[in-house]
Formats: sequence, C-alpha cells, structure tokens
Amino acid sequence: MPRKKTDKFVVLRDNEVVTHLVPGLFPAGRQSEWTEQNRTITFALHPLSTRVAIAVAGKQPSECLSKKTPVFEQDQVVHVCGMAALPDERLPFVNDTHAVFAALQGIMEAAGGEAAGELVAVGIDGLLRMSALYREAMLRQVRVLQEAGAPSEFIVSEIETFQSMHAVWHLLEIIYLTTNMPGLSISIVPHFMEWLNLNFPAPSSEDGQRIVDSLGTESLALNTDLWPYLKKLALRGHVATLANMLERVAPAQELSSSAARWARDIARVARDMPLGSNEETSGSFNARWRRWNEELQNTVSAIDSLISGGKQPEANDAELESLYAIADVMRGNADAISAESKSWQDMLGAILLYSEPTSQADRLPSLAGIMVEQFQASEFSVLDRALVALLNHELPEFLVYCNQIDTWLSAHISDLMDHISILDMCRATFAVDPREHYLLALGESYLSHENLWRVGLDYLGLIGSQAGNSVMEEYAMRIPLESDTKAQQVLRMCDKFKLLRAKDRIHRQLGRQKWQRGRLGAAISHFAQVSDRRAVGQICDQLWDEYLATGELSYGPTIDGVMASGLRHDRLQFLTKYRDFHECYKVGEFADAGKILLHILLSEIAPPYAIADLLVDAIPLLEGDELVFDSDATFELMRCAETLLTQPPPASGTVDQGEMSIFSVACARNLARSFLV
Amino acid sequence: MNTLQVQPVARKITSVCWLPPRAGSAYTDTELYFVTGSSAKHKELILWTTENPDFSESKGQDADDKPLATLVAKVQHDGDVQGIAVVSPDVIATASSYGTISIYDVEHSAVASDSLLTLRESVTAHRFSNGEPAVSTALSVQPVNSSDAEIASCGEDGRVAYVPLTRLDALQAYEVDSTVVTGVCWPTPAQLAACTRAGQIKLFDRRSPAEVSAVFVDPSNAYSFECITSHPSQSFRLATGTDTGAVLLWDIRNPKKPTMEAFNVHEANVWQIGYHPADSSKIVSCSDDASIAITQWASSGAASDQTTRGVRHLSSFFNALSISCFDVCPFTRTSLLVAGSDSGNLLMEKSAASDFSLF
Repeated sequence: MPRKKTDKFVVLRDNEVVTHLVPGLFPAGRQSEWTEQNRTITFALHPLSTRVAIAVAGKQPSECLSKKTPVFEQDQVVHVCGMAALPDERLPFVNDTHAVFAALQGIMEAAGGEAAGELVAVGIDGLLRMSALYREAMLRQVRVLQEAGAPSEFIVSEIETFQSMHAVWHLLEIIYLTTNMPGLSISIVPHFMEWLNLNFPAPSSEDGQRIVDSLGTESLALNTDLWPYLKKLALRGHVATLANMLERVAPAQELSSSAARWARDIARVARDMPLGSNEETSGSFNARWRRWNEELQNTVSAIDSLISGGKQPEANDAELESLYAIADVMRGNADAISAESKSWQDMLGAILLYSEPTSQADRLPSLAGIMVEQFQASEFSVLDRALVALLNHELPEFLVYCNQIDTWLSAHISDLMDHISILDMCRATFAVDPREHYLLALGESYLSHENLWRVGLDYLGLIGSQAGNSVMEEYAMRIPLESDTKAQQVLRMCDKFKLLRAKDRIHRQLGRQKWQRGRLGAAISHFAQVSDRRAVGQICDQLWDEYLATGELSYGPTIDGVMASGLRHDRLQFLTKYRDFHECYKVGEFADAGKILLHILLSEIAPPYAIADLLVDAIPLLEGDELVFDSDATFELMRCAETLLTQPPPASGTVDQGEMSIFSVACARNLARSFLV
Repeated sequence: MNTLQVQPVARKITSVCWLPPRAGSAYTDTELYFVTGSSAKHKELILWTTENPDFSESKGQDADDKPLATLVAKVQHDGDVQGIAVVSPDVIATASSYGTISIYDVEHSAVASDSLLTLRESVTAHRFSNGEPAVSTALSVQPVNSSDAEIASCGEDGRVAYVPLTRLDALQAYEVDSTVVTGVCWPTPAQLAACTRAGQIKLFDRRSPAEVSAVFVDPSNAYSFECITSHPSQSFRLATGTDTGAVLLWDIRNPKKPTMEAFNVHEANVWQIGYHPADSSKIVSCSDDASIAITQWASSGAASDQTTRGVRHLSSFFNALSISCFDVCPFTRTSLLVAGSDSGNLLMEKSAASDFSLF
C-alpha cells in the first residue's frame, strides 16, 4: 500500500493561461460607462473544440428599452476565439501513437483469450514490442523537432517534453518489462546504464572529440577539461573509452612517471572489467568480479600510499589524485562516487555498476532512497520527481508527475501499467480509475482538433469502460457533419462501438437536415434507418400534396431511390402503386390499372384523405368502353365510397359531393354492364 | 499483407492525382509530380515531387531515411478538396465541399521550388433547393483530346453538373437522384455513369443529359455505392465500391440484363476505385479499413485459367485510419502507387511485388 501524501496531489495551476482579446470588446478602463449603456458580454462554448463565441449583448431585451438607447455597430459582431489546444507539429506523433495504442489493445485482447499461462508470455512480448514502438515515436518526434530549423521557445519546450517523456517511459519499460520476464532473473544494471546514457548522455561526444583533438597540441596542465571528462567516463561506465584515453594521456611530457605508470595500470584494469552474460552462472561471475575488484583495491591503496607517503613530487601531484579518484569510483566506493556525481542519476548508475553489478529491479527502491537523501529534493524537476517516484514504486505519485509532464504520457503510461497489472495498486489511492481518467482527458483534447475527431473517438471507445462509452456517445452526437462522407464515418464508428442511441440521433438529425434542404429521398432513407415511421409518413404526405397541387406525378425518382434500399412502409407502397396505376393508365392497359387501383383500396395502404381522389380516378375506368371492374370489384368500390361518406368529416378530408354522385352513377352503370357480360 | 511506405504530412489527405509528364519529355522525366488535396483544418492543394523509380539507381533499399516526396508548392483551397482531376500537365480541376469546381494552373519552373499552383477560376456547381451550398462529392474529366473538355461533377444535392473547361459560366446541372450522387465517370466521351447512395448506377447520354438512359441495381443486396469507375478501353465494364467493403464489377453490354460480380475485399466503405493503368485485369481500391486492395479480377495475358484470380492487400502499421484516396502512376514502368489517409500520411508503394492470395 503506497503512502498517501495528500499534499503532493494538489493540482498545479501552472497550465492555466489567461489570454486577452486585442483589441478588447470594450475600451480598457471604461467598464462603468460601458455597462450604463445596457451592454454586457455573452459567450458560448463550442461543444467539441476549445473555441468560444463571444459577443456584446444587451442586459435587457431591446423591447424593454426606450428608443433613445444607442445602438453600436461594433456590437453586431460575434467574435470566435480559438485556443490552439494541440499544436499541428504533434499531429504525426498523435497519429503514430494512436496506431500503436489501437494495436496494443488488440494484442492484449487477443492475449486475454489465451490460457492464463500463455497470457503472460504473449502479453509481455507484445507489450515490449509496442513499448519500443512508442519510444521510437517519441525519439522520431524529437528528431523532427530538432531538424525543424529555427528553434523557437515553443520548439525547445516541446523537445524537452518529449525527451522527459522518453526518459520516464524507458525507465518504466526496463523495470517492469525488460527485466521482468517470467522465469528469468535478469540483472537490471546493464539496462539501467543504457537508460542513463541514452536519456542523460554524458559526457557529450563533442566534449570528447574536442579533448582528443587538443591532446596533441595543448599542454596537459592547461587542459582543465581533461580530468573531469575522464572522471565522468568512469562514473558512466564507459570503461573502454576511459582506457583508450588514459593510454593516450600516459606518454605526455607533463605527467610524472608514477602518474603515467598508474594511468597505464588503470587502463589495463579497466579493460578487464568483467561483463555478465546470460550463459554464465551468477556464482562464476561473482568470483570474477571479486578478483577484479581486489585488483582495483590494490591499485587504490598503492596510489593512496604514494600520495599520503608525503614524498615529493607525488604528494602534490594533481594528476595522481585524479587517477586515485577514478580508481576509487571504479572500486565502488560510495563516498567517492557521491563526491564525483553531479546528479542522483549519475550516482545511482555508478553505485549499481561498480558496487552491485548483479542487482535486480527490486533493489532499486532502497538504493534510490539513499541517493535522494544526498541531493536537495526541493530542487528536483518534475522529471526527477517522476523518476524517483517510479524507482520507489510510488506509482500514484508517479502518475501525477507524469500528468504534469504531459497528458499524453499519463494516459499511455497508465494504459501500459494496466496491461502489466501494476495499476491496481493505484486504484485505491485515486477516487476515479486513473487509466480511464487520463485516457478520457486525452481523447477529449484530441476531439478539439478538427483533424483528430476519429482518433479522439477511438481513444474514448478503446478505454472499454462504461464511462468511456457514454462520453464517446455524447461526443459522437455532436461531431459536426459537414459532408455525407463524414456522416458515414461517424455512423461506422457508432456501429463499431455499438452506440445505438448516437446512431439513432445522427440518422434523425441527418433526416431533418436533408428534409430542410429539399432532399426528400435521402431524408426518407435516413428516417427509415431508425424506423421513424411518422417522419416517413409525413414526407410521403408532402409528396402527395405536391402531386395534388401541381397535378404532375414527379415524385417517381425520389421514391425509386428509396425503394431500392429495401424499405417497407405503407405510405411509400401506396405512392409506388399509385404511380404504377398511372403508368398503366397512360399506356392504355386499363385492366391492369383497375387491378392496381382496387389493390390500393383493399389493402388499406392509402391514407384516408386520399381515398376520395382514388375513387374519382376510378370514374374514367368505370365509364370506359372496356369493362374493367366486374360486379364484385364494383361492389368493393361502392363499399369504399360508403365507408368514406359515413366517416366523420375531418378523417375523410374534403369530399366533393358532386364528384361522389358522379362516381355513384358510374358505379351503377358499370354494375349493370357487368351483369350483362 | 504488403507494407506501404509512410510519410507523415500532418494533413488529412482526401484526394491525390499524378500529373502527366510535361509534353515532349514523356517517359524521361526523372522527377515525377503529383498533387494532393487535404481537408478539415488544412484545406490545401499541395504539389509534390518524387523520384522516378525507373531511373533511380538504388533499388529502394536505402530509401528509408529519404522522404517519399518533397513539397514543391502549396495553395489554400476554398473548402475540403473532394476530388482532383488532371486536364493537362499544366491544368487541374478540383471539386470542393462548398460545391465549387475550380481550375488551377500548375506553373512548372526549372527550379522545382519556384513552381506554383494558382487558382484560375471557380464556379459553384451544387446547391440545395434552400440555397445552402451542397458538397461536391466527385468529379471527372471528359476523355477527349481537346482543350475544351467538359468536367462533370456530382454532389449531395443529387445533381450532376457539366461545365466546359474554358467557359465555367456555361454550367448546366441536372437533378438525377433523390439521394446523394457519390461518384461519376465517363465510360465514353458521350456517355456518363453516376452512382448513388441508394445503390444505383445511372447512365446518361451527354446529348440528352436530363434523361436517365439506364439504371442498374443489385436487387439482392441493400448497399450504397461510394465510387465508380469505367474500364479504360472497354466502356461496357464499370466498377463500383460499396459501403460494405465490396468491389462490384459490372458488364452492361446487355442493358436489360447486366451481369455483376462481387469481390468482398474490404471490411468497410470503399472510397475510391480504379483499374490499374498498366494492367486492366487488376482493380485497385482503397477503403475506410485503412487498406488498399489490388484485385486480380480476370486472368491476365495468356494463362487463362481461373486460378490466377486473387487479391493483394496493402497497408501500414503506422496508418490506423481510413485511406481515402490513391492514384497509380500511369507513366512509369515501375508501378508507383501513392495514397493519402485520414491519419495524415502519404503512403507509397514503389515495387511491383506480386504475392497474390488466390480466391
């Protein structure tokens, strides 16, 4: 159970920014005069992005004001203010890491299906691969930014952020993945040194080059950088380079004979430093190490006796003292290491390398504790704090510091920690699930960028929690649908994550939009998708009304398109049949036309208000030369007319009494004819 | 699954098109040019240049650290770029989400970085009946060798618009569908085919553009069409991509009884489709599932047995989102495919590797 230090969880307000509109909506210092003119400011937040609409508003509605209150032209403007939430420079990084994130969730899901034993192996292997890809993306981003040319303040801070992110990520990877392979006990030391030298490179290779170049030309005494450089090489475990340098220094004129001798000796010993390998047993390595260490002990005591022997010239030999320090560091003397170290990372690295070369990851917390005490914790940067918290396994604290470095880091690292199942120990500390919380925050910040709506939604969906899905659903409904293609893509996301409510609402919204724009066919198909029978019926009624008003049967193409998509609706069927009736009638196939008309009436797909018109349409068929309706059919027609006339007026629409009586006469005549045939 | 090379460009690329080699230097250009159009935050047309693989000395081995293409010129575009069509090496036409058709001049210069893209003219082609501009979904240039070719564009207003390249004011638009017209192509200079959201292919004779001369649907399935293309030499062969990820090949020799064959090569909407310019027995398609499929729909060459049919998929691990456009360079011997995606990547395949998985 981690210690709870509530005071460390105070939210830092450094990230909040106050910005000013220039020029402002009202002149500075004239607020009181301004407010007297019934003016105030109103604003509306954009539901997705970080944009805000700001405008001058009246405190009271204009109806309540006297006509004398002045109206100002500059008040008729709405200002849309946007804050760049996510710099465009990050877009490639966001897209790359999104691909990795999505693949990682896929791998873990697939591994989850395996038997419990295999899960660990498949999982850790996959996680290591993905973790490496994340780190590659960070390093690539650093490289791209460095090559970007003129380094602005922004670029410099971005580079620093990405380097910090990489340092944190790499250390976590080493502790929990690389050296945590099940069934293997792997020493953390080589990995830690690799981490140290990759993320906090020292001494720099330019320094080294400069010193090598100067060796031939300048005298050693003037070269003040040489010995600190050599000490740094020793501290960071660059023993081969150190040996080479010492051998180049040794023949120098200024060096005393004993210093030259010991420089050669240390170079030889440094080359012999034992390196562990997987084949070697730890016992045999320890034996070799002990022998090497003893050799160094001898060197150290020999140099020590030279210096403390008080004999000139050795007693004041600065070079000899530096050599002593180098040998002492390599011997693993904690005091010597601490004296030479500039930072806790240096010191931890050197102690691990020279005094505990076979340590495993679980040794780190106690070592880190000792280191940190020797340095001023109050001067630590956020990165230092994050790394120390990680070394101490204080994961909740670690996450908070990660979040201060960057929201990307806290989101992805909590996701990774969840997959290695070390996040559970944080869950008790936080009020909300940290992975969900940080991923939600990240997803939402992506949504504010126009290009990243899909990435943002994907993050929200891949959280895989109830809260993630409901937030995603709310956002999905609010994504501006500028084009039909984008609508298709949003709907596909809804399908993928089973957001039925959002899908329903988007279809209705699109249906209404198309209806307003006069695209009735498209509107019907959207409403049909969500089975909004009422809206489909209303649009069909509108088509029917247009037919009655113009007398032209022009809706054919509209409903054809819709029928092709396989929709079934009474009103639509009615419109289609009615058009078929017209087509038959037009080409003179009266028998077929009559059959269709009768079918419409009998199957009751026609709306009540259209029945009178249908009956009137039957008159020419009844009165025609050819007998279309037999006696049964005529009886049916008459029954329809009867039902129509007995209905209360509003349901039956406006029935023209004159036309109905013509219809009755026509029916009677047709009936008589049908008996004769 | 073959891997595409990726170059992040931080823009949602929604259309891409190769420029033909400049007149007189055909097949010998060492630099090839193509134009991309982007959407959302960066609405831009960009002219890129890349090495002609026919002449490159290194065979793509050490190309990892070299960018795939270099930016030559950039110009703001009014609205999302929905489609680019090449008229000549110096002239391109674009369709925008504000319903406009625009003509751009490409001014090549001896120094690549001095080349320019300039807007010549534009015209609004698509509007809804309530006056709002409608998204233009695609455009296609009439396949005639004249300076006065017509551009056909289609839009969400259900119309197909025709406009002669040199007189944009002579625009004619005809309502052809009640849903969205999603794609358009010219099988012959006198015939136009459009596909719709409702899953129909509609044919028009250019001389009577208001009348639909034939409609084809697949009655057994309810899907919508996202794109259409016609065979480069056999005008009766059409190909459409559906929202379900299928590529449909139509033979409309008999308009009363068209035959259709479906290849389910994608998992989501097929955004663009085209016959491979070097081998029309292959059809290339890109999709919302972030992959490109090259389908061998007919056996090529002499071997006429059915077993040579198959599909090859191209994708990239670093491209998680929809690939919305592609173009295969018709001017090089080495097949050179460029594509653009919603993840803000330019994708390229420079080889002619062919490990097809057979059906």
